[in-house]
Amino acid sequence: MSTPSLEAARQTSRNIAANIAKIMRGQTAPTRQLLAAFAAGGHVLLEDFPGTGKTTLAKALAKSIDARFKRVQFTPDLLPSDILGVSIFNQREQEFKFHEGPVFTDILLADEINRASPRTQSALLEAMGEGQVSVEGDRRHLSEFFFVIATQNPVEFRGTYPLPEAQMDRFAMQFTLGYVPPEEEVAILTAQEHNHPIEELQTVATLADVQALRSAVEAVRISAELKRYVVDLVAATRTAPGVQLGASPRASLALMKTAQALALFDGLDFVTPEQIQALAVPVVAHRLVLEPQARFSGTTARGVVLDILKQLRVPA
Amino acid sequence: MNTEPVPPTGRATPPGLLLATLVFWGWQSGWLWTGAAMGVLLEAARFIPLRWELTQADFQRIWNFCFLLALAMGIYVFSTNDPGGGAAGTLQASARKVSVSGLDTSMTLLRQLPVIWFLFVAAQFFSAGQAIPLAAISWIARRRQQQGTGMEPEKHINVAYPYFMLCLYSAGIHTNDGTHLYFYGLCGLLTWALWPLRARKAAIWVWCVLLATALTLGYYGVHGIGQLEQFANNYNSQLLARLLQPQTSAEVSRTSIGKIGRLKLSNRILIRLEPLNGSPVPTYLREASYRKYYSQIWQTAGKSDEFQTVVNDVGQENDWSLLPGSTNLATVQIANYLTGWSKESSSAQGLLPLPSGTARLTDLPAFELKKNPLGAVLAAGPGLVIYQAHFGNAATMDEAPDTNVDLLMASNEVSAVDQVIAEMQVASATDREKMLAIQRFFASKFTYTLNIKNEMKAYTNSTPLGNFLLHQRSGYCEYFATATVLLLRELHIPARYAVGYLVHERAGQRYVVRERDAHAWCLVWNSATKMWEDFDTTPAGMDNPAPSFTRPFQDAWSWVRFQFAKFWWSQGQFRKYALWLLIPVLGLSLYQILFRRKRKRPAPAAASAKSVPVDWPGLDSEFYRLETRLAARGVPRLPGESLTHWLERVLVDPALTDMRQPMRELLRLHYQHRFDPQGLSPADRERLTREVNACLAKLN
Repeated sequence: MSTPSLEAARQTSRNIAANIAKIMRGQTAPTRQLLAAFAAGGHVLLEDFPGTGKTTLAKALAKSIDARFKRVQFTPDLLPSDILGVSIFNQREQEFKFHEGPVFTDILLADEINRASPRTQSALLEAMGEGQVSVEGDRRHLSEFFFVIATQNPVEFRGTYPLPEAQMDRFAMQFTLGYVPPEEEVAILTAQEHNHPIEELQTVATLADVQALRSAVEAVRISAELKRYVVDLVAATRTAPGVQLGASPRASLALMKTAQALALFDGLDFVTPEQIQALAVPVVAHRLVLEPQARFSGTTARGVVLDILKQLRVPA
Repeated sequence: MNTEPVPPTGRATPPGLLLATLVFWGWQSGWLWTGAAMGVLLEAARFIPLRWELTQADFQRIWNFCFLLALAMGIYVFSTNDPGGGAAGTLQASARKVSVSGLDTSMTLLRQLPVIWFLFVAAQFFSAGQAIPLAAISWIARRRQQQGTGMEPEKHINVAYPYFMLCLYSAGIHTNDGTHLYFYGLCGLLTWALWPLRARKAAIWVWCVLLATALTLGYYGVHGIGQLEQFANNYNSQLLARLLQPQTSAEVSRTSIGKIGRLKLSNRILIRLEPLNGSPVPTYLREASYRKYYSQIWQTAGKSDEFQTVVNDVGQENDWSLLPGSTNLATVQIANYLTGWSKESSSAQGLLPLPSGTARLTDLPAFELKKNPLGAVLAAGPGLVIYQAHFGNAATMDEAPDTNVDLLMASNEVSAVDQVIAEMQVASATDREKMLAIQRFFASKFTYTLNIKNEMKAYTNSTPLGNFLLHQRSGYCEYFATATVLLLRELHIPARYAVGYLVHERAGQRYVVRERDAHAWCLVWNSATKMWEDFDTTPAGMDNPAPSFTRPFQDAWSWVRFQFAKFWWSQGQFRKYALWLLIPVLGLSLYQILFRRKRKRPAPAAASAKSVPVDWPGLDSEFYRLETRLAARGVPRLPGESLTHWLERVLVDPALTDMRQPMRELLRLHYQHRFDPQGLSPADRERLTREVNACLAKLN
C-alpha cells in the first residue's frame, strides 16, 4: 500500500533513530518523540535533571543530519542581540553590516532556556513562532528546517525565569528523558571508556532527506473521526477540574501533526488512536495551567491529561 | 515511559507453609475446617493457572472492604458481648459479662483476623501481578504517586509473609490450656518460614544455634510475661479497691468532722433529675441512712441492717416495687452513674439517690436490686441508669425505730450535748417544740462554713463535735446533722443520720445535682404519724461560690460525658443501629469490587456525547463481534483503552497463544477499515470478514 516516497521517508527516520540509539542508550521512547516533533516541524522542550543526556540527544540528532547546528548556553546576562545577531559598522566599507546570530541555523540547542531574562527568551520565541526575525527594521527569514531543542532544569529555582504560558505553547512537545536502568548505565560507561562515541557519529541524512521526510509526514492520512478525537481530547482540558487554562487549538494542531509523524515511523500510512494517545501527554500537558489549589492538593498536568485519556471514549 | 514494575518487597512463602499455618490457626482457635479450606485455597494458586487482572484500584477496594468487614465484625461482637446492645436477645445473661466484654470483644476480633483479611491475600495470590501495589494500601504512597512525575517505579509488596505472621498472632489468642502446644507449633512454623530466608554466607549450624537461642529466649520471655501479668492483676485489684473507696457506702459513712481546712467539692454533675407530669420536685435525694455514731463515723447496726434482694415485678423486667400498695404518687426521672463495682454480678453498682417515700422504680435496667432496712437501695447494672422513681409523702420504706439503736448516744459526746440542751432549755416541751427549739438554736447561734479553722488547740480535751457545739459554732452539714441526731436522741426522739443530695439547681425543665450538692441531714421519727421525716438543721447560706467562668465549659463537658455514657450503656437506641448502618456500606463496597467496570466514572458528559456520532465510516467492521466475544472471556475494554492495548491484554491468556499473530493482523485490517480515509480494498474487506468468522469459529 505504501507509496515509495513514504517508504523512503520511513527509512530516513529509521536511520536517524538507529544512529541516535548508538549514543542514547535505553531512550527509545524519547528519541521517537523527538523525531516525531522534528519530522512534524515542531520545537521541543526537554525538562529533566542535569546529566540525563538532554544535550547529547540534541547533538546526536544534529550530527545525524547534514545540517548546521548551533548551541546557545542561556545565562541571565544574555541579550537578544546575542541570539539574533547584531549590525556592526564596517570602517572600510563605511556601512553597517549584519552579523547573524546563532538563530540563523538549522538545529538550535537552547540550553537551560529558563536562565535567560524574559526579554531574551521572547526574542528566541518570536523566531520559533514566526520562522523569521526582525532586526533593525529588516525582516530576515530563518532556515526552513529551523528546529529548536530547548532544555530546562526542573530542580533549580534560584536565578531562573520560568517560561510564561504563552511561550510554553510555542513548543510542540515537552518531555523528560529520565534515568536509564542500571544495565544501560553500565553500557554508557563502557561506551565512553576511551572517547565519546558522539565524535564518531556519521551523518545519515541530508537536508533533502529531511525535506522529503517532512512532506511524507504531511501525506500520512488521518480520518475525520480521529481529528474529532484530537479536538475532543484537547477541548476536555479546558473544562477539566483544577485547570485554570486549558490547551489551545495550537495544541490540537501539534498533536495531529506529531501523531502523523509517529504513524509514519510505525509503518502506517494513516493515523490510529494509539499514536494520538501516545503523544497526548508530551504534546498537551505542558500547556496547561493548573489552579493553585489543585496544584497544592497534588494534581499534576500530566495526571489531568492521563485522566482525560482514561475517561474519553476512544474511537475503536 | 519507564514503568517497568520493580520486584516486590517481601517474598512469597515456601510451598505449604500457609496451609500448615492456617490449619494450625484453625486448630488453635477451633475453626479447623475453615482454616484448612482457606489454606488449600491459597496453596492452590500455585497449581491453578487461573489469574485475574487486578488493578491498583481493585486492590484498594478489596482492602477497604476487608477494613470495613473488620469494623463491622468489631461492632457486631461488641454489641453482642455488651449489655443492652440489642443485637442479642438475652440481654440480662450477656450483661453479666460486662466486665470481660471489652476483653472478649478484642479477643474475638483478633482471633478472626485471618478470616477477615483472607479475601485480600487471596486477591494477591490469584492476581496476574502476584504482588500488591503499595499505593493500594498506603495513603502516603498514593499521595506520592499523584504528586510524582510518574517516572518513579511503582512499589509492590508481597503480603504472604505478613499474612503468615498475622495467622500466627491470631492463633496465639486462645485460652491458656496449660500445655505448650502453641509454642511448639509456633517454633516449627517459624523455623519453616525462616529457612528459605537464611543468610547463605554463614554455616547452617550458626543459623541453627541462633534460632535455638531466639526460641529459648522467647520461651522464658513468655514465661516471664505471664508472671508479670499475674503480678499486675493482683496489683490492679488493690488499686481498684483503693480508688473505689470514696463512694457512698451503705454500711459506713466516714464524715469529715474534725478535719481542718476547706472542704473541696467539685462542680461535676452527678445526677440529672426531671419531674414528670408536673410532679413536685423532691428537696432531698437520699442515698443511705445510718444509726450508730462513734468517733466521726456513722454506721449501720450491723447484721440486722443487711441488704435484701428486691424482686422485680412479675412480667415487668425493669420495674421494681419497694413499698407495695402506695398510691398518690409523684414521678421524677432520675439519671445517675453507678460508680462502684460489684464482684458477685461483675458489673457496676451503686446506691440510688431516691426521694423520700419512694415506693416504685420503673424502667430501671438493673441486673439486681437490693434494699436495706434503713432505706438504702443498691443497684447493680450498667454504669449509667435512667429510671423513674414514684414517690409519695406517706410512709417511707425505712423500718420503724429500734429504741436500742436509734436512741443510742456516743458516750464521749454526752457531756457536750447535755451542755447544749441546758443552754436551749427545752427539757419539758413536746417533740415538735424540741425540734423547733433545736432548729432555732442552730439558726441563731451557728453559721455555715466549709472552711474549718484551726482553733482546736485551745480545747484539746473536747471531741471535734463538742468543739463545734460549744466553741466554734460554725461548720457544714455533717456537723449539723450529726449534732442534731445526737441532740434529738438525748431528748428521747429516735433519729438517724442521712446522706444524699440537695436538689436546688434548675436547668430548663430539669434539675442537675452536682458533687458540691452532697448533703447530710437527719431523719426524725414522728411518733404521731409513725413516719420518718426529713429534718434539716443546717442553716441557710450554704456558701454558694459565684459560678466561675469555666462552669459552662465544665457543664458542657459533663453533658458530653453524659451523652456518651448513655450511648455506651445503651440507654439510647443508637448503638444497635450502627451495625445496620455499616451493612449498606459493606454492600456498596462489595458491589464496587464485583462490578467495577460498570462503576467507572463516565466520561465528561459533554465530551462523550459529542464524540460518538453514529455515522463514522467502518463501524460495520466484523471485528466488533470478535471484541464482544473476547470481552466475554473476562477482559472487557475500558472506555479510554485503545484496541491495541486491550488486545495485548487479552492475548496474555495462554489459551490464545496460537491466535496472537492472526488477531494482530485482523486488528490492523480493522484499523485500516476504520481510520484510513482511503479504506480497505474490496479484497481486504472480504478478507476481514472471512478471517473474523474463522477466528470466532476457533474460539467457539
